[in-house]
Amino acid sequence: METAEFTNQIKVQRAMKNITQEELAAKIGVTRKTINTIETGKFVPSTILAIRMARFFEIRVEELFILTEK
Amino acid sequence: METSLIEKLDKSRYDFMKWCTIGWTIWFGTYILTDFIHYPEVPGFITWIRLIGWFILIVSTIRFLKLKRELNWDNKMKEALDDELHLHNRIKSFQIGYFVVIGLTLIFFVLALYTAIPALMITKLTLYFGVLAVLISKLIFNRA
Repeated sequence: METAEFTNQIKVQRAMKNITQEELAAKIGVTRKTINTIETGKFVPSTILAIRMARFFEIRVEELFILTEK
Repeated sequence: METSLIEKLDKSRYDFMKWCTIGWTIWFGTYILTDFIHYPEVPGFITWIRLIGWFILIVSTIRFLKLKRELNWDNKMKEALDDELHLHNRIKSFQIGYFVVIGLTLIFFVLALYTAIPALMITKLTLYFGVLAVLISKLIFNRA
């Protein structure tokens, strides 16, 4: 059976923009906990939130969230 | 949007949930406990503990409402607080509560086949543990 690995580049992008989880949360309009759980892979965001985040970092959604089929 | 304001409100909501859980555990717990005590009167200390539970519930609710009014309560802030993680956790908590209630109902159903159990006691216990399951699971999910 095929499995998929879902990862993200939020931490890297945050470091590049030099912003904290709290600041990112305020820009996107969510709480810090939401950013934290997405960043650590505990929670998969909705399409809307994923697009908002990608727009904020000025990259494509596929660059921010990576789905690797195994 | 002001970052510290959202976090402050989020923490306040978490604290409210925490105290609400403590208040419910004490208040309704002692209410159920008195059913198992067969004294002519409810012992005084249990009444006092029950009052403490009530007090905790009321104070935490007032504090939460006061803070909500003090901080500029606007739609953007509300959306940020009730974001998708919050809604996701709420659904998960209610699912857990639902399964606890179904589980207890099954247990009481089987027990009732062998012994007589007062209906009011079953209702109280199911309500108590059902609500407690929702509150505790929400606290655990919100801990991140």
